[in-house]
Amino acid sequence: MSILLDKNTRVLVQGITGKIGRAQTKWMLEYGTRIVAGVTPGRAGEIVEGIPVFDSVLEAVRETGAEASVFFVPARGVKDTAFETLEAGIRLIVVVTEHVPVHDTMEMKTAAKRVGATLLGPTTPGVLTVGEAKMGIIPGNLFPKVPGPAGVISRSGTLSYEVGGILAKAGIAPSTVVGMGADPVVLTDLPDLLRFFAADPRTKLVTIVGEVGGVQEEMAGEYIAREFNKPVIAYVAGRSTPEGKRMGHAGAIVQRGMGSVESKVTALKKAGVAIARTPAEIGDIARRLLG
Amino acid sequence: MRLHEHEAARLFQQAGIPVPPFVVARNADEAVAALERVQIPVVIKAQVLVGARGKHGGIAVAETVEDVKAKTQALLGSSVRGLPVESVMVARKVPIARELYVGATIDPAAGAVTVLLGVAGGIEVEAAARERPEALFRRTVLPPEELRGYQARALAHEAGFSGDLMVKIADVLVSLFRVFRRTEALIAEINPLAVTADETLWAVDAVLDVDDAALFRHPELPADALARMEHPLEQAAKKIGVSYVDLDGDIGIICSGAGLGMATMDVVGQRLRPANFLETGGGITEELMYKTTHLVLEKPGVRGLLINLYGGINPIHEGAKGIVRALGERQVKFPVVAKALGNRQEETWATLSEAGVTIVTDITTEAAVDALCARLGS
Repeated sequence: MSILLDKNTRVLVQGITGKIGRAQTKWMLEYGTRIVAGVTPGRAGEIVEGIPVFDSVLEAVRETGAEASVFFVPARGVKDTAFETLEAGIRLIVVVTEHVPVHDTMEMKTAAKRVGATLLGPTTPGVLTVGEAKMGIIPGNLFPKVPGPAGVISRSGTLSYEVGGILAKAGIAPSTVVGMGADPVVLTDLPDLLRFFAADPRTKLVTIVGEVGGVQEEMAGEYIAREFNKPVIAYVAGRSTPEGKRMGHAGAIVQRGMGSVESKVTALKKAGVAIARTPAEIGDIARRLLG
Repeated sequence: MRLHEHEAARLFQQAGIPVPPFVVARNADEAVAALERVQIPVVIKAQVLVGARGKHGGIAVAETVEDVKAKTQALLGSSVRGLPVESVMVARKVPIARELYVGATIDPAAGAVTVLLGVAGGIEVEAAARERPEALFRRTVLPPEELRGYQARALAHEAGFSGDLMVKIADVLVSLFRVFRRTEALIAEINPLAVTADETLWAVDAVLDVDDAALFRHPELPADALARMEHPLEQAAKKIGVSYVDLDGDIGIICSGAGLGMATMDVVGQRLRPANFLETGGGITEELMYKTTHLVLEKPGVRGLLINLYGGINPIHEGAKGIVRALGERQVKFPVVAKALGNRQEETWATLSEAGVTIVTDITTEAAVDALCARLGS
């Protein structure tokens, strides 16, 4: 068991003929992902890493039964691509692209909610189910071959790699690692991702890797207090962030008194979440909680 | 990117929002010449990109020509909250009977636009939301939906307005919402929206903060986003394509992601003092890392460098060559520690260690900070 993605999921890669699309397709295939098709408009008939390329999502779905899609398309094309993909019936989409205009994201989120689709991102490293498959850019070699009991949800890409590795080192390997995205508006909220882990029998605890900015961690606190029954560990990055400074990610900013580490930690603590002050502490806490 | 008040005011005016006549002046003569169009009494406002200008001496009222001259001169020679005043906005002073607040912003929880109407203006809206939530009325709009006239009127009615005033306030809300969506703003705000004794409305301030990520499709907006960033190293970073925030310590940091960068800053901060936050995002090349390394070492007083990279989307083995080239050119003698993991990590380690960089292969950033402390002898 896992969430969102396993080795049988039929994956489509959009923007497969680009430099990053090609390179990442190779890594995803090597990890075991069942990639069935690629799409780049105008490039139908080409083959990338043995994968057939189609002009449109609809054709790719019709020909290959693709059921999940990962985007390596430029920011300005993301909204259009998302609408095309939703219309073709795909209900799991990973938007790796950074710098997507937030007004586009709001429109995508409205559309995704209407049809009940799960979209990760924008600015997400994607999702990796240990030992099975990955959509996105999470490096597979940082994780053990065999899945463990720890679900990971992270706003940051690189930090999810570090935390996944720390958990594995502590002997509590990850089950599925999910990047929720680092923009001010994310397409699927943290409580909705926690719901997937709630329903996954393999996952015995969840680690939330948060950061300054936005209100996702606060929303998660409310949800966990209300109905989440597995132990949760959280680390929130950016303790020493100066107010009003954007820390790399479009969404990582303490602004108008909102989005501080303190506010997030308070909300999570109130829900009974174990707080790690540094990423390395996550390993010790996980051992204690499952020991 | 935050727009200057006069730029936002012009956009609001074009959208049909009533804005008192104004002129932008860069010297006292221009301010006096403006009086032909604006007429005394006027408000002279420093055009600097910070809030609360009134409290910090950035706004003056002038009743005579001499007054306009003197006060413009005084403002142009001054700085407001650390920012030098290079131009002022000379605007007709309107007789205010009552102040309101109107704004549109992004609600990160809903992933939607929140339209706000406050029955007290001149407020700090976040404080008002906490302390007097009953005085702030809001409506959520899910794009691509628009704010409709009847919805805006319902909001104004809910806030206690009726008759002509209710209709006028609703018109302002609808226009403001349109500007917000058309310019792809993060914040659009009129604070205060002035009501005169005869119930005329005037936007006597204008705030517009637009999404940098959408600027590519907005040629109508000012093109000098870069020049508006305060710190020279932050500007240089943006040119390279990385993200830099200046901090007040002496340990340089280079990370390949924002979350990792913040966590590294946290961990370094427990024992040493970070000189900066720097994250490259997903665009690492040899050239980018070469420039980035130079940039971080540009800051005077840096006495140690911590490099923390993951090869996910990034070709870190290429980046390593750029780092080594820059370190060589700068003849760096202080400790440099690198933790670089992921795709092609072994090649990366080989390149860096040949140049005298200490390599940490443990996954924790703590291990890298330990190594740096050991080499610094602290």
